Amino acid sequence: MDFISPINVVAVSLGAAFFMGLLGKKAQTVSYILLLGALLFNTIVSGQWLYGLATNIIDAQQVYTAGFRPPFSINLLMGLDEAVITTLVNIVGLLGAIYMASGLHKKGSGSQVVYLVLIMSLNVIVLSRDLFNIFVFLEVGSIATAGLIIMQKGINAVSAGFKYMLATGIIASIMLIGVIFIYRFTGTLNLDFVMQSHPVLKQGALISSFLILMAILLELKPFPANGWALDVYESAHPGISAMLSSAVATANLFVLYKFTGMAGESLMYYISLIGLVTFVGSNLLGINQTNARRMLGYSSIGQIGLLVAIIGLVPHSNANFKLIFIGILTGHYFAKAGLFWIAGIVKAQNIKEWSVLRNRPVLLFLFLTFVLALTGFPPFPSFWGKWQLVMGLSQQGQIAAVIAILVGSFFEVVYLLRWAGYSIKLEPGKLPEVKLSQFIPVILFGLGIYATGYFVSQATNFGDTINYIPLVVVAILLVVDFLPAYIKNSLSILATGWFAYLLIPGQDTLKLVFTVIFLVGGILTLIPGFHVKGKRAGFYPSAMLMFGGLALLIEAENMLQFFFAWEIMTLGSYFLIIRGKESMVHAFSYMLFSVGGAYLILLGFGMVSVGNTGLSLNLLSQIKFYPVLAMALLAVGFMTKTASLGLHIWLPGAHGEAESDVSPMVSAILLKAGVFGLVLLMLAAGGEYNNYQGLFYTLGWIGALTALVGNLGAVFQEDAKRLLAYSSIGQLGYILFAFSIMSQLGWLTGFTYTINHFMFKAILFLSVGGIVMRLGTHNMYEMGGLIKKMPFSFIAVLIGIITLAGIPPLSGFSGKWLFYNAVIMKGWYFQGAIIFFAGTIAFLYCFKLIYSIFLGQLKDNHRNVKELPFWYLLPQYILILGIMVFSAKPDLILKPLGTALAAAFPSNPLIWEGTKALSQLGYWDATTIMIVIGTMFVILLIWLMLMSRKAQNVKQFNIVYAGERPERPELTHVSHNIYAGYNKALGFLVAPGITGFWNYATNLVESIGNFTRRIYSGNGQSYAIHLVSYIVVVFIIYISSI
Amino acid sequence: MEFTVSKILWTLLGLFIVLNWGLIMGGTMRKIVARVGKRYGIPIYQPYIDLVKNYSVRSQITHGVMFYLGPVFRLSGGVGIFLFLPLIFGSDHWSNFSFSGDLILILYFQFFGMLGMALGAGEGGHPYSAIGVSRGLSQFTTIEVPMTLAVISLAVQYNTLSISEIVAAQQGGLANWTMVTNPFATVAAMLSLLGAFGHSPFDLVKAPNEIPIGPPTEYHATYLGVLRTNAAILHVVEAALFMNLFFGGATNWFELILKTFLIYFWSVFVGVVFPRFRIEQSVQWFLKIPLILGIIAIIVVL
Amino acid sequence: METIALITSFVLILIGLYGILSQKNILKMIVGFSLFDTGLHVLIVTVGYIRGGTAPILDQVTGTSNVSDKIVDPIPQALVLTAIVIGLGVTALMLAYALKMYQEKQSLDIRDFKELKW
Repeated sequence: MDFISPINVVAVSLGAAFFMGLLGKKAQTVSYILLLGALLFNTIVSGQWLYGLATNIIDAQQVYTAGFRPPFSINLLMGLDEAVITTLVNIVGLLGAIYMASGLHKKGSGSQVVYLVLIMSLNVIVLSRDLFNIFVFLEVGSIATAGLIIMQKGINAVSAGFKYMLATGIIASIMLIGVIFIYRFTGTLNLDFVMQSHPVLKQGALISSFLILMAILLELKPFPANGWALDVYESAHPGISAMLSSAVATANLFVLYKFTGMAGESLMYYISLIGLVTFVGSNLLGINQTNARRMLGYSSIGQIGLLVAIIGLVPHSNANFKLIFIGILTGHYFAKAGLFWIAGIVKAQNIKEWSVLRNRPVLLFLFLTFVLALTGFPPFPSFWGKWQLVMGLSQQGQIAAVIAILVGSFFEVVYLLRWAGYSIKLEPGKLPEVKLSQFIPVILFGLGIYATGYFVSQATNFGDTINYIPLVVVAILLVVDFLPAYIKNSLSILATGWFAYLLIPGQDTLKLVFTVIFLVGGILTLIPGFHVKGKRAGFYPSAMLMFGGLALLIEAENMLQFFFAWEIMTLGSYFLIIRGKESMVHAFSYMLFSVGGAYLILLGFGMVSVGNTGLSLNLLSQIKFYPVLAMALLAVGFMTKTASLGLHIWLPGAHGEAESDVSPMVSAILLKAGVFGLVLLMLAAGGEYNNYQGLFYTLGWIGALTALVGNLGAVFQEDAKRLLAYSSIGQLGYILFAFSIMSQLGWLTGFTYTINHFMFKAILFLSVGGIVMRLGTHNMYEMGGLIKKMPFSFIAVLIGIITLAGIPPLSGFSGKWLFYNAVIMKGWYFQGAIIFFAGTIAFLYCFKLIYSIFLGQLKDNHRNVKELPFWYLLPQYILILGIMVFSAKPDLILKPLGTALAAAFPSNPLIWEGTKALSQLGYWDATTIMIVIGTMFVILLIWLMLMSRKAQNVKQFNIVYAGERPERPELTHVSHNIYAGYNKALGFLVAPGITGFWNYATNLVESIGNFTRRIYSGNGQSYAIHLVSYIVVVFIIYISSI
Repeated sequence: MEFTVSKILWTLLGLFIVLNWGLIMGGTMRKIVARVGKRYGIPIYQPYIDLVKNYSVRSQITHGVMFYLGPVFRLSGGVGIFLFLPLIFGSDHWSNFSFSGDLILILYFQFFGMLGMALGAGEGGHPYSAIGVSRGLSQFTTIEVPMTLAVISLAVQYNTLSISEIVAAQQGGLANWTMVTNPFATVAAMLSLLGAFGHSPFDLVKAPNEIPIGPPTEYHATYLGVLRTNAAILHVVEAALFMNLFFGGATNWFELILKTFLIYFWSVFVGVVFPRFRIEQSVQWFLKIPLILGIIAIIVVL
Repeated sequence: METIALITSFVLILIGLYGILSQKNILKMIVGFSLFDTGLHVLIVTVGYIRGGTAPILDQVTGTSNVSDKIVDPIPQALVLTAIVIGLGVTALMLAYALKMYQEKQSLDIRDFKELKW
């Protein structure tokens, strides 16, 4: 294979540019074709080298010019790194030219030449090993960019372009001073020779290398000396912004990477600091943006800052440096170009107007792809990069940097996902006509980001252990999204069943419980989907993303698999939750808590990996680096999913406003993912004899208080689904408490609660969700008397609340009995009493729920409602069967669980004598109780029936009402604010203090951002002053440190 | 333990005795209350007359299935507690079916009847029923807090949750009664008993003159008969529960009758002295002194 | 000689920088840039100067041995040419921008172009 010398990139580009210049204005088409040809040639050259170097067909090659060897001539180096970077630059160059086809074509050869020169200059700065040469082409690139900015009509682009010229002019001068002094002190301009003489660089030379690095750093727009760049991102043609963000930044980052050899260790620290400050600061300010392109600008600058930080933080000798860098770089590269291009298609500036994308589902899908890639979700390259980065930094002990990175990422998630939410939910306007030439590059980049993600994952340590099958299922469902819902529903059920079939046989007992909840629960909650008519676009991919994530969670054996599954599941659930009519803000807050939690988990995993080798989840049992803190971080991370006190405020809205069959998915099933995490964590902590007593004691208290606040919150709801949602908070509080006890009885309690909550909450949410669907209102006081219309639902809800309340003989009581024994043996009396108190409070809302909906007076407008659809009742009755079996024969589940738990919790086991369970304190025989109560109930019923044979049914208003007849059902259906007295007595306990805290925190962040962004006054001169002061300040800090 | 025929017969006999004692005790208490109020009062056998009358009323209506089942739930609740409670210490015949479960079962089985009653009353559709239920449930949440603390204190003290074993531990004279060995738990529980028995000042649920008899407003005839039957049984077995936990239990029927009478009398005694609370007062009252006593009871046994 | 040149260059650079950062008139700012650039160019030449050296052209004066002792360093001279060209390009483009800006707003005050901010 013949390899085309990279020097030809320059030659062909210049040649083409020359001819294009000659062609003049008339022959636009010819010159445009020439442009594409030259760009294609560049791409082929770099791609060919990439292929050759990656497959080791050829070695890295120096290209000498003018017939001399350096230092007497300029030389280019084409190595693997250069090949990768130039390929990236040239691809976006080519696609960008296609994207801007109409603009470039219309403007004629002038702007086409400038465009080509820009791409060429980027190639040269990547390849060149000569300082002055790099300076020249940086300057050529800047001039070309300024020339392209002016393409866009309007005052904004012009003034932004001038600001850009001011800034780059100053930067270039600084660089030139540095270059000339480097030459003065080392006698050479060749980078390799300069670096060889690095050890002899003394004061003066150090300053000159500082100036060069500073210049290239300033090109990368460090916060806050970057106002000029923001204006360009906002106002230039989106195609140009895409080039700046993807191609120019990529090339400049590579130049920084090349130059770091000159800097030595002392400067690396400052580079990383500059990068981190930029990443955090820029993303913080991004939160306040409403203009999509400006926001993308902030995001670009943030991402570039992160990459700068990586260059400074991770030793380049580290085997993973390139993976991290490429992972995050490509994530940014594809996504940012894609988003800017989409911005050009959408045209709307305000992020609230981006819902127009819904007119073109493919565009919306690509948009979400890019947004999620930027926020570092799997399976995108940035996920792997970030994972490896956090792990690597943790192992270096750079926890502070990890925290900064996570904080910055979190800010970015805030504004990007808010934007995503707007585009999914707000009323769409009209989408401008989409040109094919604009569409193709976006699609190619969408495909590119998935492909790159896969390749990066395979290069990541343990990345090859990731199971992609669930994602394949999701992809298939995406492709067949045009089919009617019932087909996709069947497919989803089949897939979930298949996962279950793969996972259940031979699964160990503890995981089996969760497998059944996740997957059998998944099937059951998918069944109501058969009721839906039409296509239900987007539902099934989301649902399978969630269930697939849950399946992967069970399967996970190492931390990477676990985190991958966790994120996949989070994503799926987000898209499910946001489908509800009023769900936008709630899904957003769910996502913020989830992402925050995920970052804590990531940080925790990072700390776990310190001092250990490998990533196995078993390492959780041998944490060497601040074990209590690491454990606590992981626990809090999981508790964002279980909605424990303080982290619970997202839940009521998210679960309450979700679609009727989504609420049971997220409430009965998804919450258990957090429980699953806690279970793994606590087992790894060492079971009964662990070294984290203080931590679990605290968790126990949190659980108890969560139960109290959750249940009390439920009491005062008028919205049926929110009532159930608050109830979930409370129930998950019990579960957290029970597991925190860390004894065999405590864990049996925890598992019993978990299983019960899964069953009854699914029943309740299916019933109530179905009723809400039938009636069209969430408000219980607008319901009433439905028992006569929906008897089967009534029975289901009755069974559900009896189980919830823990009334014998149903299985809820198993939990209560175990709970008492566990609490008393552990000695957690006061926490236990609080939980008990919470349990009695549950009666209040249970009664309110069933009474307000089914009993009391039927409303006039509900006289014709029908029983719930069969597809809603079927899963409920299957679950009721489950409750009945678990109630009558709890030993079927609890006995093997006890055996499985004996290893970790050997003392004070529950002893079984047939169906009778004995603890050290007491005993309980569920089967006997069931028989006694059942027999007695039947006998008494017969007794009453004998005594009142002649009882006759009367009509609705036939009640003892002071001799009057109430006219309207509303007058006699007492439901609204039924617990007013209770509220007066204890309502202060649920005053929205925690919501207030989070609101305060949010406002604080926003106002800090708002205050800080005022430095971007819009005055180009101020920006120039920022630049100069930035250099001075960094210089002073740097000098005073050496 | 098996469900032998003789066991079942003995238990039914016990139930019969308890029912009669409950009716007589109820009549007595009403008489006492009347006399305190300077009235002559009803004859002591009045509850029997009421019962017979209620069961024999011919015209009856029903508001629906749940309405019909309400009293069944309610009576099941009372009888169930009876069944799960060992009545006479040391007697195999009168220990009923207490082998099925311990103290926790009884505490939670109380809710069975309450829930069914609440739902039945709910279907009745009368606003007073719903108001009564909401008051009852509200009040109940805090009544149970000191009670729970007392029970936990006992469980820790005796290291068991089995009622028989708790009674066994109190044998051998007054000095061994929980009343003496754990006075704080006893007082806390006896204060919450006031709420559980629903006499003034905690009679908000039925609240005569306010929401005339509250939840059972719509219940009449046989239903009412069933409810009265339950009330008679429930008074005795609940008092017997306190007797077992705090006052040494009973080794024979006479002891049981005496102790349950005194325990029940305690709530009547308070009831004639104090006027009715409002709901928020009642809810908060149990979270003051009774709660503190309950906490002390736990600290004492730590 | 070198000292004078060095001082001159720095003075020019500082004057230019001051002009860029303090003048509100866009044209004056561009003049500041030109001064800045000129200062830089003087600096480059100064750096390559070797006392007593002649122009870096190989002729009879320099001979063919020990050439590097007799001539000034040729590289900075080559560099300065490139730098001048680039400076020219930058200045020209800036002036083009100034023209456009004036056409848009009839103003050359940099403070008038603050539509984009925050």
